[in-house]
Amino acid sequence: MNPDIVDGFAQASMMSSLIATGIGSLLGLVVGMIPGMTISTGIIIVLPLTFVLEPTISIALLLGLYVSGMTGGSFSAILLNIPGTPSASATGLDGHPLAQRGEAGRALGLAITASFIGGMVSFAGLFFIAPLLAEIALRFQSPDLFSLVFFGLTIICSFAAKSVIKGLLSAVIGLMIVTIGQDPMMGSQRFTFGQVNLIAGIHFLTALIGLFAIPQLVDNFVELIGDKETRYEAARIKRVLPRWADLKRIRLPVAIGAPVGAFLGILPGAGGPIAAFISYDYTKRVSKNRDEFGKGAPEGIAAPESANNAVTGGALVPMMTLGIPGDPVTAILIGALLIHGLAPGPLLFVENGGFAFGVIFSFMYANFFNIVIGFLGLRLLVKVLATPNALLMPTIALLCVIGSYALRNNFFDVYVMFGFGLLGLAMRWLDMPVVPLLLALVLGRPLEEHLRVSLAASQGDPTIFFTSPFSVVFLGLAALSIFWSFYAEHRSRRLSDGATRQ
Amino acid sequence: MRRRNLIAAVFLLAIGIGYAVLTAHLPTRDIGSTTQPSFFPWVVAVLFLVLSAALLIQGLLPATSNAVPKAPDVAPTKYLWGGVAFVVYLAALPTLGFLAANVPFFLALMYLYGERRPLWLLGGSIGISLALFYLFRGVFLILLPSGILSGVIS
Repeated sequence: MNPDIVDGFAQASMMSSLIATGIGSLLGLVVGMIPGMTISTGIIIVLPLTFVLEPTISIALLLGLYVSGMTGGSFSAILLNIPGTPSASATGLDGHPLAQRGEAGRALGLAITASFIGGMVSFAGLFFIAPLLAEIALRFQSPDLFSLVFFGLTIICSFAAKSVIKGLLSAVIGLMIVTIGQDPMMGSQRFTFGQVNLIAGIHFLTALIGLFAIPQLVDNFVELIGDKETRYEAARIKRVLPRWADLKRIRLPVAIGAPVGAFLGILPGAGGPIAAFISYDYTKRVSKNRDEFGKGAPEGIAAPESANNAVTGGALVPMMTLGIPGDPVTAILIGALLIHGLAPGPLLFVENGGFAFGVIFSFMYANFFNIVIGFLGLRLLVKVLATPNALLMPTIALLCVIGSYALRNNFFDVYVMFGFGLLGLAMRWLDMPVVPLLLALVLGRPLEEHLRVSLAASQGDPTIFFTSPFSVVFLGLAALSIFWSFYAEHRSRRLSDGATRQ
Repeated sequence: MRRRNLIAAVFLLAIGIGYAVLTAHLPTRDIGSTTQPSFFPWVVAVLFLVLSAALLIQGLLPATSNAVPKAPDVAPTKYLWGGVAFVVYLAALPTLGFLAANVPFFLALMYLYGERRPLWLLGGSIGISLALFYLFRGVFLILLPSGILSGVIS
């Protein structure tokens, strides 16, 4: 057996790693459950706390949060009809009607079970596909890597935005920010304006905290006011463990949702909400009980839940093997690895094979913790829904400030975080997505490095990007994704214009 | 949304031009066939200007169905006070230190998020600020500056 697999299993099975995974799962269920808190925000808040931890333990904690956050999102979708995370939107379609019939426990139990199965299917995919893909990616040269990073960036810009131009603009703003600090090739200072704090560039996490958390604090001025009664009602739950008859009913939806989610997770930009809705829709079409959908069908809970949890393992595949994040959370995980001096990509499996497999096995444990904590702690966990915003939001604000300061023990980073918060608000006002900016912050530096190394190798000849089949394929896919997005945007505008005229 | 796009496009074009001017003033190096430090910023500047111009053109074209997002039902003064609280807090932070600045900031935010009970306001702001301060110092070993309370806090 591959010694890295054994080493990875040992690393993930250490008591400290298991405790971290368990704590992460608990936090994930809580964070996912709270409407107005995204998994990304939860990870961003927790990330500064992990600086002092070993990389294996730190990533185990964050993976626990990621996996369970997906399941936690379904709790509030089922109980309150307010999805805790966007990925749980489809779960509420049948979960909430079931809860309204007095079967909240049944709905939650089905969601937890389906999440576990989806997560384990994607673990299998991650375990078998990631090392193979990493092996192929080892053959990539600089031009291929540039084209791959470029493709990763364009496909996410296209998916993330209603307007392709705004999506691309958001990414280019991110690239602008990346150029602040030392030039990666020669070490010359760029756009530092004599400010010592800018020489090392803008810290990825500082930008992230500001972009995600500050707009969320502002959003919560509005959200959930007057929901205290609904939240209190949510705490009444009876039987949670699914009955045998229910387990038989969810076989087909889980068999559809899990592979669909794992596959869509691998594709950058697709993400949990898309996987959940596709699985829901397809299951509805093939189900014998399609008339029950929308009224509390167990299949309508199992299909999206298995799909959105399966996305998590799928999204880890491009992150670990190519260094390309599949969604905002994996982008943050890349940042977390970089903070610990580990660069995700094909070399991770060669230079730190034990660690790479440790991440994969921690992901497996996270799914186990998710189902165990989910079932055992459910009645207690849902009480979190009654936490007043007046305590929660100021706590998040303080954690953001302390987290930014803790990065480099520097007040400058706190001010930068606040500046990015304002940028995030401005982008929201303009209906411009922040996800492409975030990904550009992660991918901008490798993009510049591979571009300039390639051009240096070819004496400035740009045709070098068309000499390798890998590079040509990636550039072709990038062009296709941009073209398709413009076409889709144009078509949807025409359709909605037509509908308005009628 | 069109008006917003127009305003944003003009603003972004101005930023793009400013960025291009700064890029033009970046230092040059003479090292063989390697690209200059300004190479990538030039690529970014051109892309940014082209996309901003495209946004401007999109804004000038006849209106499409791009609906303006509904404004949230919150008094604008609430946002204003939230912003003021944050700015004052950030300005006072280096002098006051984390604990002395966190307590009033937390209290102000609690008030803005709708808490009106005096005991909860005081208890929450002092209790959570203290807990977070010592959690980071004691458990995560991050030495948060204690500012004016440096003589009091161990």
